[in-house]
Amino acid sequence: MSGGYDERCAADLANVGEGRELSRADRAWLARVVTGAVRPNRDKPLWDLAHALAGLARLTGAGAGRDLVTLALDPRLATPEALAARFAGASAGAAAADARGLTLAAPRPWRTTWAGLARLLALAEFVLTAEDLAQFPLVTGWFDDLAKEPDEAERLAKRLARHLAAYRSDHLPLLASERRFRGILGFLRGRSAFTDDDILAFWRAEMAAGERPGFRTVAEHFVTFEAAAAVREGLDGLSAAASLDAMEGWEERLTASLSDLAQGEPAASLADLLADLPDGPKVLTGSERNDLADLLRLEPFHRTRPLTALRAASFGRVQSGLANRLRRGGGGADLAARASCAEAEEYRALAARAADLAHHLGRMLRIAAALRLAATGLADDLDAEAQAALREAEADLRRIRRAGFDDRARVASGFAAMDAALVRLAEETGRFVRAAEALDRRQGLDAAFAADRAVFAQAFAAAYAGEAA
Amino acid sequence: MTGTDDAARLLAEIHAARGLLRASVPAGGPTHAALWTHATREPGRVVDLAVERAIRHDPAIARRYRSMLAAQALAHAPLAVAASDGPLSSRRVGPFALDILPAEADAPPLLILRGEGRMPRVIEAMRGEEAVRLDLGEPVDGSIVLALDPAVPEAERLGRLLGDPASAVFLL
Repeated sequence: MSGGYDERCAADLANVGEGRELSRADRAWLARVVTGAVRPNRDKPLWDLAHALAGLARLTGAGAGRDLVTLALDPRLATPEALAARFAGASAGAAAADARGLTLAAPRPWRTTWAGLARLLALAEFVLTAEDLAQFPLVTGWFDDLAKEPDEAERLAKRLARHLAAYRSDHLPLLASERRFRGILGFLRGRSAFTDDDILAFWRAEMAAGERPGFRTVAEHFVTFEAAAAVREGLDGLSAAASLDAMEGWEERLTASLSDLAQGEPAASLADLLADLPDGPKVLTGSERNDLADLLRLEPFHRTRPLTALRAASFGRVQSGLANRLRRGGGGADLAARASCAEAEEYRALAARAADLAHHLGRMLRIAAALRLAATGLADDLDAEAQAALREAEADLRRIRRAGFDDRARVASGFAAMDAALVRLAEETGRFVRAAEALDRRQGLDAAFAADRAVFAQAFAAAYAGEAA
Repeated sequence: MTGTDDAARLLAEIHAARGLLRASVPAGGPTHAALWTHATREPGRVVDLAVERAIRHDPAIARRYRSMLAAQALAHAPLAVAASDGPLSSRRVGPFALDILPAEADAPPLLILRGEGRMPRVIEAMRGEEAVRLDLGEPVDGSIVLALDPAVPEAERLGRLLGDPASAVFLL
């Protein structure tokens, strides 16, 4: 995915997520709070955090900021169950904890669930440790002020809101992507549904306007646009809501759809699965991985909009070649030759390679299954058909000439470590292959490629003409 | 702000959040919790050797650790910027004055720490890969006196580090 955050921000979030072993949904929540994707008020989670810490300060009798830091960082308090076990039934002053969660009676009524508190403590760890702990002493000082005056939660909330706003302006460069989404919204004129050709037409308009965004980058924005359709509808309702009551209803719905968005994210992106495949045995070579990553990177478009996936794989590669050459100031084919798309890979060839890879991954899966069965010792109880499949997989294993496949024990342990990833990769590659076949029947891959080549070549030639001359 | 502007802003924020969720960054080094446990330990207690090693060998982790010390210190003097001539026999750390009285025939060098208000309980000094943390003991009449006995390796190291103007000193 392109854009909108820097490496520091990705590392700050990863450190909190891994240290606390956060679930995917909680990681998504934290990422949304950090980028500001919370409505109607993006500072609400910080307001909640300040009140949660005020409540905990009372319940634990924390006298100093460091006590609150210890609570926030303690991995043994990272889950709702652990928090309930530690605090349920406690009360002190305005703070009380019951079976459901933490409540404050003063200076204003406030409450959160144990699950909410667990998330808020993850946010506390983030605000403390952001920027690789550069602000740790400052934020601890603010916690210290709160520990001494637990009624001053609002002051802490304001400080944290300013702190996170400054962090966003330093580490989340959202303007370019905001401009692009404004462009997409204007281009679609209120429509939610769009086609492969809308994506291409929008990209061409941006190219003609001198923006020169990557086709793949534009397609990635459409992936988000599609995933967030429900959220946008909620937002429209929010600005149209006439009364405060209606507003509250929308807030809940918006929060629910923003959470759905995170839940809808695949458990791990296909690109991650590919990057994390262990190296021994060599199930996929480097170039096989790259091919798959190119085709699957726009998840879920590889199964829902195979034409856009093919365009990004074929002409996206040409465009990054152009951009790289411009950056380097030379090397390889010249700009005009690249812009002509003579080197662009044909859709039929891309689809055929994907089919080969799907076949290859299927074979790897059968081998993995055979090895697993052999290890359980249940192979003898199988019916004749399964026995035959097993023998075939064994024969396959002996035929494979790839690094690491000569050592059966190593193959078995390697597959055991990656078979869930393999199943998903094989499945998704297969889905792309079937989507591309359907596209071929509908439109013809060769005709589509020829038409697209003319379009991309024209757009590249016009956009890069200045440098080519 | 118009509806389109806010929708575009929200979409950009969601786009970044989705990107962050997919960005695979290996978390490096000990967890924040492990570092904090180390930074708040009592002197002389068993330490997590892996954490100690990481702080000693990885400048980025050492920086995080110093941030955690600074957050709980009553006063601290970060790594000094200016070099000075020869070893120091006295230095100020925030509102506290630290003096080292040289050894005499039958007595080891002494560290005298004076200051107003709440007195520190622990001192930690570090430079590069070398670090030491010691209990300061109770103040008497507003001063803390600690013998830097050369026969005790940690005390000897503290004396040496305090005399080095490039050392960082934390009073906790």
